[in-house]
Amino acid sequence: MQGLTYLVAAYAIIWIGLLAYLGVVMLRIRGVRTELAAVKELVREQQEKSS
Amino acid sequence: MIFFEQVIAILWKDIRYELRSKQMWAGMGLFALLVLVIFNFAFDLRVDNKAAVAPGALWVSFVFASMLGLGRTIAAEREKGSMDRLLLCPVDRKAIYLAKLLGNMLFIGVVEIVALPIFAALFNVPLLLGPLLPIVLLGTLGIAAVGTLFSAMAAATRARELLLPILVFPLIVPIVIAAVRATGTLMVPVSNEPPWLGLMVAFDVIFLSISMLTFQYIVEE
Amino acid sequence: MALAGQDTNVKRRDASGPGQAERFPIVSMVLLALTFIGMMISIWMIFLYAPTDAIEGDAQRIFYFHLPSAIIGMLSLGIVALGGIVYLWKKDERWDWVARAAAELGTVFLTFALITGSIWGRTTWGTWWTWDARLTTTLILWFIYIGYLMLRSYMGRTPASARAGAVLAIIGLIDVPIIYESVNWWRTLHPQAVLPLGSSPQLPPEMLLTLVVAFITFTLLFSFLMVQLYQLEKMQTLAQQLRASVE
Repeated sequence: MQGLTYLVAAYAIIWIGLLAYLGVVMLRIRGVRTELAAVKELVREQQEKSS
Repeated sequence: MIFFEQVIAILWKDIRYELRSKQMWAGMGLFALLVLVIFNFAFDLRVDNKAAVAPGALWVSFVFASMLGLGRTIAAEREKGSMDRLLLCPVDRKAIYLAKLLGNMLFIGVVEIVALPIFAALFNVPLLLGPLLPIVLLGTLGIAAVGTLFSAMAAATRARELLLPILVFPLIVPIVIAAVRATGTLMVPVSNEPPWLGLMVAFDVIFLSISMLTFQYIVEE
Repeated sequence: MALAGQDTNVKRRDASGPGQAERFPIVSMVLLALTFIGMMISIWMIFLYAPTDAIEGDAQRIFYFHLPSAIIGMLSLGIVALGGIVYLWKKDERWDWVARAAAELGTVFLTFALITGSIWGRTTWGTWWTWDARLTTTLILWFIYIGYLMLRSYMGRTPASARAGAVLAIIGLIDVPIIYESVNWWRTLHPQAVLPLGSSPQLPPEMLLTLVVAFITFTLLFSFLMVQLYQLEKMQTLAQQLRASVE
């Protein structure tokens, strides 16, 4: 049943790869959100200083 | 014909500039020859497989030499000033591209002309200069058309020597295949060969046009 | 989209920020749910519903994931080029976000296609690779994508970078059919195994249905990821612009 091993391997790779990529994308989105919040804070502080 | 006057003017300026720095020429020529020599060792050429490998060796050497040549034009320009000043003039961007392209082709062409006889000698193949010339011309034009455009792009980055081949190699695959096969057929005529020269002409026309039209978007600020 | 590209008023951007974050999860959630359902159905169909191929056996089932990945990966270049063209025309950076997202996704999908294609090839003819026109063009297209990503990465988030990317995508798109044909011609000299796409030129209806379902699932997956990456690009651009306005 050698074909079956390859089949399982192929699907395993795709699944793991897909989930890993999904995870990476989610992490990146979270990272940007944090940075965006931080920068917005900076902007607010600057506006308060100038006003 | 103001357009072509602009082309000639820019081209002449570039040629005068290049003639001053002779190291680049020598370097490129030497590099082309060294690649050929290495090919000899890499493939252990014997009489039977020589005809199969020779066209490939020639064009690999040309492609690599072209990369070196393409890198130098725009890099020299980007040493601030000359390109920006040129762009300030109301000169057609297409003319700039054409001038750069012709300059590159001249530059690479000289190296190729020198390398060809030596190639013929090293590999012990007949130097069919007549029929070989159109192939070399079309092939170089294709590589340079794409390469000139992308060297302008890559010049803005730090890793331009690395980026240029990475961008250009995949795109010139058709030209390289065609050039190698056309050269091969010249050395060892085969029947039922696909129309490689036709493909090269088509490739050159298409990508010359597109590059000319899109060049303005690359250099505008 | 509430976010105007030319707007430099920080206050308005600030106000539209939370609004965006509230709207997009709905679209994303729907797409994610549909993708998940589609995946479940696809897996069931691929392994249990579709009949076993007479010639190749079970390994043939790789095909149901391989083909949609490959096609979507290739079509994605069209999206990159389209985004690039519209960006050159309208100078609206949102189209550049679309282009960047599509380029990244195209790379991911093509990577999957190459891996599955290689494994499938291994099962069918015992080699991990063959230089047939389809696989070779897929590989070269993969390199074009990588070149695009590297170029964009090196040039940063600037209008010049967006323009360069657009030009690269346009040239790449036009080149791909030419590459395919030239490799095809070249291959007539070295006849090798052909990817058994048409091992049974007429797929039995069950196989065809499974393929269609898998294709729809992958399209949903692609759409979901596109939305995520688009939002990612938008937020990164915004963060960079805000940071520049502060410093």
